[in-house]
Amino acid sequence: MKRLPHLAAALAALLATAAAVVAYTLYARYSENKYVHAVAALDHGEISRGIAMEQVALRQPDLLLIYGASELVLLETEYEATRFFSTYPTGFMVFNAATKGGSSLTVAQRLAALGPELRGRRVIFAIGPAIMTMAPFGDVAVRHYEANFSQLHAFALAFNPDLSLETKRLAAVRMLNFPETLSGNPFLVYTMRRLADPSPLSTAIHFLSYPLGRLQIAILQLQDHYATVEYIHHLSAAEVTVSREPRTIDWRDLLAVAAAEQIESSDSNPYGVDNSQWPKIKELFETPAAPGSRDADFINDVTIAREWDDLRLALRVIKESGADALIMSSPMNVPLWEVIGVSERAQNTYYDLLHAVVDPFEVPVLDGREWGRIPYFSMDLASHASRKGWIYVDQRLDDIYHRRLP
Amino acid sequence: MSIKGLMTSIIAAFRSPVGRVALLTAYYVAIIGLLVVLYGKGDFGATEFVYQGF
Repeated sequence: MKRLPHLAAALAALLATAAAVVAYTLYARYSENKYVHAVAALDHGEISRGIAMEQVALRQPDLLLIYGASELVLLETEYEATRFFSTYPTGFMVFNAATKGGSSLTVAQRLAALGPELRGRRVIFAIGPAIMTMAPFGDVAVRHYEANFSQLHAFALAFNPDLSLETKRLAAVRMLNFPETLSGNPFLVYTMRRLADPSPLSTAIHFLSYPLGRLQIAILQLQDHYATVEYIHHLSAAEVTVSREPRTIDWRDLLAVAAAEQIESSDSNPYGVDNSQWPKIKELFETPAAPGSRDADFINDVTIAREWDDLRLALRVIKESGADALIMSSPMNVPLWEVIGVSERAQNTYYDLLHAVVDPFEVPVLDGREWGRIPYFSMDLASHASRKGWIYVDQRLDDIYHRRLP
Repeated sequence: MSIKGLMTSIIAAFRSPVGRVALLTAYYVAIIGLLVVLYGKGDFGATEFVYQGF
């Protein structure tokens, strides 16, 4: 100590820092466990690109974790699952991790980031036909992907020991198609390039960089804990109060009420499109289309959609992580697509391809086809659930949680 | 205690081996703390963007 005072001091400082990190992590985990049920009922967009709260939610027997896209978050209504189940009427609540602009590529990374926590846990991957049927080349929009991108998710996927090298390579190749998201971190770019390159040298370099990758993840996770604790600290007393009021749900009555509300909210047009969405798509309905006149284009668009490859990637992550996952699809809005010249036969291409992609992975899928002709189920062409649609979705979630489905 | 008194105490502490290590440790901890404050905060919130559908 006399000869090397700087070395002794540096070691002591590092030990003190390590002790502080461990103590803070324990405190953060305590807070996250204590408030996870409160957070489930709130808009947790402030921490949606982290994983701390989702990992805690996975371990709760009375929380059902849902990943997906805007189909399950766009419409603000009391029937939306996190509001509908907020009092645990049938014994559980939904933790909705779906995001606007979400896609299979985003979900693949988010699920991979959960790591070993995912094994054996039930998660729902809610998908819809919107990207496959409406986005150019059936690909996620760059602005949507960038808005949902998280360095923590990306690193956690790249250095997830449960995933095969092939799955990571496929993910890296796709992630490199969005260079803006990687540009802020040279190590992330380097990692993705090494993963995308199947040569033995790149593979060896990737494995050699594992310690650095795990260190980067540990730092990001610490930041994630800090952001989560900060978020919790800013919640009010009312927001952290969770009430549990068991009751029997009369689905038939609810459906009638929600349907009446949806009809009232769709009075600006004759097609049952919600008034909030009609201005965005009304041009499509200005010129009448002959029945089936757009079938060929539709079938081609759906067939070549890039989202199917991303869905395969997400399914690989699900299988290799050992998750007890379930795919729940929104339906095609059959009558509305018929108005613009796409027959039901052509629309069924979506379901055919959905099963062709999902079934080989032996992951259960509820395709939602039976909902396609229900009036006012979807509020637009992109299959966003309406007020009435949400009642069907809520009932399905209830059936899934209580293992009546699939 | 005045600043002059504080400085005198620090210099005195620096002359003993244990005091020196203790002060250096505090100095390094302060540097690490400063780095954490400057660079430790991550961004995990949803990015602001206008969702325009399809």
